[in-house]
Amino acid sequence: MSDVVFQTKGLCKRFPGVMALDDVAMDLKKGSIHALLGENGAGKSTLIKIVTGIHKPDGGTLFLDGAPLVLHGPRDAIAKGIGVVHQERNLIPRFSISENMFLEKLDSHPLKRIDYQELHRQARHWLEMLGLDADPAIPVEKLSVARMQLVEIAKALALKSHVLLLDEPTASLTPHETDNLFAVLNRLRDDGVSMIFVSHKLEEVQEICDRVTVLRDGKNACESQPMEGLGRQDIVKLMIGRSEQIPNWQARDRTGNPPVLELKNITTAIGHRAVDLSVHKGEIVGLYGLVGAGRTELAKSILGKYLVTAGEVLVDQHIAAISNVADAVGRYKIGYVSEDRKTEGLVLMHSVLENVGMTVWQRLAKGVAFLTNRAIRTQTLPFINKLEVKAPSLDQLVGNLSGGNQQKVSVAKWLAAGVKILIVDEPSVGIDIKTKTYLHELIRELSDEGTAILLITSDMPEMITLADRIVVMNDYRVMGELANCREYSAMSQGIMNLIHEAVEVDMSPVQATP
Amino acid sequence: MNNTTKAADRTADAFGPDVQETSSQHPAMRLLLTNEFGLIALILVFAVLFTLLNPGFVSKFSLFAMGRTAAVNIMIGFSMMVVIITGGLNLSVGSIGVCAAMAAGWLMQSLGLPWYLSLVGGLGVGGALGALNGIVIVRSGLHSFIITLASMSIFFGVMIFLTHAGSFREIAPEVVAPGRMKFFGVISPLLLITFVVAGLLSVLFRFTATGRQMLAVGASPQAAELSGIRVQRMTVWCHALSGVLAGVAGLMLVSRTGAAIPSMAGQLGQDWLLPAFLGPVLGGTLLTGGRASVLGTLLGAFLVTMLTTGLLLLQIAAFWVQTYLGLLLLVAVLMDLLRRSYLARKKLV
Repeated sequence: MSDVVFQTKGLCKRFPGVMALDDVAMDLKKGSIHALLGENGAGKSTLIKIVTGIHKPDGGTLFLDGAPLVLHGPRDAIAKGIGVVHQERNLIPRFSISENMFLEKLDSHPLKRIDYQELHRQARHWLEMLGLDADPAIPVEKLSVARMQLVEIAKALALKSHVLLLDEPTASLTPHETDNLFAVLNRLRDDGVSMIFVSHKLEEVQEICDRVTVLRDGKNACESQPMEGLGRQDIVKLMIGRSEQIPNWQARDRTGNPPVLELKNITTAIGHRAVDLSVHKGEIVGLYGLVGAGRTELAKSILGKYLVTAGEVLVDQHIAAISNVADAVGRYKIGYVSEDRKTEGLVLMHSVLENVGMTVWQRLAKGVAFLTNRAIRTQTLPFINKLEVKAPSLDQLVGNLSGGNQQKVSVAKWLAAGVKILIVDEPSVGIDIKTKTYLHELIRELSDEGTAILLITSDMPEMITLADRIVVMNDYRVMGELANCREYSAMSQGIMNLIHEAVEVDMSPVQATP
Repeated sequence: MNNTTKAADRTADAFGPDVQETSSQHPAMRLLLTNEFGLIALILVFAVLFTLLNPGFVSKFSLFAMGRTAAVNIMIGFSMMVVIITGGLNLSVGSIGVCAAMAAGWLMQSLGLPWYLSLVGGLGVGGALGALNGIVIVRSGLHSFIITLASMSIFFGVMIFLTHAGSFREIAPEVVAPGRMKFFGVISPLLLITFVVAGLLSVLFRFTATGRQMLAVGASPQAAELSGIRVQRMTVWCHALSGVLAGVAGLMLVSRTGAAIPSMAGQLGQDWLLPAFLGPVLGGTLLTGGRASVLGTLLGAFLVTMLTTGLLLLQIAAFWVQTYLGLLLLVAVLMDLLRRSYLARKKLV
C-alpha cells in the first residue's frame, strides 16, 4: 500500500455535548481525487479542521506517507504539505496575486527587501501551470471569483502541498468555470497531486472523484470506496440513511391565472435592458442564467434597491411606484429570500424571534402601541413551526443555527409577513439534501396557496423540479422563455440553447447599429 | 468566526425536535453571568471598600452629590449608546450638549421665554444638531467618526461665535431648583429624571417597532434594508435621539450650576467623551452595533462616577483617578471577553 499518501485511523473528536467524530477512517491515494461527503453536521468540517491542524483529535492518528503525523496548528499542516482551499475566500483583496500566494514566505528575513521580480516569476510559473492567464502583480480584488479560486489553488501548490483539500470549491462558480476548474484538477491528479474534494453537488462529485468517503452522524457511512459503480441514489442513501425522494409532481400551467407581478420593458440603472417578465398567481417562474447574468440584480431592482429608469412594474395589474425596499415589502407585499443569507438575509447576532419578526414589527405596532414579544411570537410561531426550525429556543441567536435552519428562518420571516410575491434567490446553497427537499415542497405548497414565486437558481435539477416556466437571462437581458416539461435532458438542452444563442449573437461580427 | 458557527451547527442540530416557547436553560446561571450582574457586584465591592476606607463616603451629602453627578454621566452615556447601536459613534455629544444648554439659556435670558419653552427649545436644538449629523452621515455615506469629529468643532465654533463666548446666568428658578433639591436628603431630582429617561429608552428598545428596527439596522444594515426597514431613516433617528439626550445632559448641568456656560464641558465639549464611552462599553453595548443595554449603561456610568468620587474622597491625585478609570475600562472589557467566551463554550447564548 505504498500509494497511500495520507490516511486517518480511528479519529475521534468530542465537543461539549456532541461526539463530532467517532472512529473515522479514510485513506487518500497518490494522484487521486477523493470525495468527502456528508450532510451538514455529519462531521465533515471537523474532519477538515483536524486534517488542516486547526483542531487536535481526541483519539486516532493521522498518517502521512505511512508515518504517524501530529500537527501543531495550521502553519504546521501547511509546512508538512497539506494545503487547503477554503470555502470562503482567504485572499487579501488589495494585495497582488503573488503577494497573496507567498504571504507565508515573504519574509525570508524581516529586514530584507522583497524581491518582487522573483516573486512574480515564481507566481507566474504556478499560474501558467493552472492555465490562469493573469498578471501576478495585479491585486486579487480585480479578479473574478473563479480566478480567485485558481489563485488559492496556485497558492496551495506553491507551498509544496501534495495533499490538497478543496472545501466546496465550486460553490460560487458558473458551470463553465466549474468545467475549467475540473480540467485543472484532472491535470493535477495526473501529475500525482492527491486531493480531498468536499462538495454538496453530487453531480460534480460523480464527475471528478475516483473514491469517496461518506460521513453520517460523525461516523463512516462508507470508507474510501471506489466511486465506480456508485450511483447518485447510492451516495444519497449513504449520506442520509435513506433514498432521496424525487418529487413526482405534475407539470402545471398557471399562466391562466391573473398576473401578480409584471415587468414591461424595464431598463435599470445597473444595466438591464428591455426586460419583460410576468409571474401569475400561484405560479413559480424560474430565472435561469449564468452567474453575472443580472438575475439577483433584477430581483433587487424589483425591490426598489436599484433604480428602474424606464418601463413599468405592475403589481396586481396596477402600476407600482417602488422607490425603496420598504415600499416593496410594506405596500406591495414583495419578499426576497437572499442568496447571501449570512449578510443580507439574516441578522446573525439577533435571536430567531427577532429575525422572523423583523418583517411584522411595523404592522403589529400599528395595531397596538406596544410591541411585546408575546405578540410577535403569536404572529410568527405558526410559521417557525411550519418550517420545523430546529433551535433550542426562540431566543437562540440565528448565527448559532445550522445552515439549513438559518435558511428556514429566512423563509419563515416572509411567510410571517404574508407576502403575495416571493423572490427566492438560490434557496439551497449550503443546505443538506433533507432540508433542500423540504424547502422544495414548501415552495411548491406556497405557490399552490396562491403566492407568486420568482425562483432564481443555478442548480438545474432544482430549477426543473420547481419551476412552471423558466425564463433564461444572459447579460442583463431576457433571452427567452420555456414551459417546464419536467424532462431533465430536454429542458437543460433548451436552456443551454437559449444561453448559447446569446453567446453566438455576441460573437458575431458587429453589425452597423441603426 | 466560521469555526464557531460550524461547531455550533452540530449542537444546534442535536437539540430537540421543535422550538420551545421560551428558553429554559439555567436561568439562574444566566443571570449570574450577565454583564449587569457583574457591574452590580463591582459596585457593591467598591462601595464597601470605600466605606471602610472613609466612612464619609456614605454621608448624606456624598451620596447626594454622587447621585447628581451620576445622573449627568448616565445621560451622557445614553446619548452615546443610542448611536453606538447603529455601529457608529458620536464624538459631538459634548458639543451638542453645550449648544443645547446655551440655546436654552439664550431663550430664557435674551428672549425672555418661559422656562419650559426654553427647555423644549434647547432640546429641540440638540435634536436638530443630532439629526443634522445623521443626515450628513447617511447622505455622504462616510463613517460617523469623521462627520461627528468635524461637526464637534463646527457646532462648538458657531456657538462660540453666536454667544461671543459669554454665559447666560439669568436662569429661571424653576430650572435651577431641581439641581439643588434633595428628596429624603440624598436623592437628587436629576437622578429621577435620568431613571425616567432610562425607562423610556428601555421601552423604546424592547416594546416599539422603531427601537427594534434601530437595533436591526445596527446589527446588519443589508439584512435590515432587504427586510423592508428604512435604514437611513433609522440612522437619522438614532442621531437625533442622541442629540436630544445630549441636550438633556446639558440642561442638567445648567440646572446644577445655575448658568449656561460655554466651557461647561471643556474645550469642544471633549470632557464628555470619556464618560460617554465608559458607560455604554462597561455596560455591554457592542461597539459594532446591534445590541444595547440600557441598564448596563446606567450601571456602568454609575460605577465610574462612584469610583471617581471614592478616589477623590481618599484624596488620591486627579491624575491617578484618570489612570484608574482607564484601568477599569480595560479590566471590564477583558472580563466581558472572558464571560462571552465562557457563554459561547457552554452554549448559553
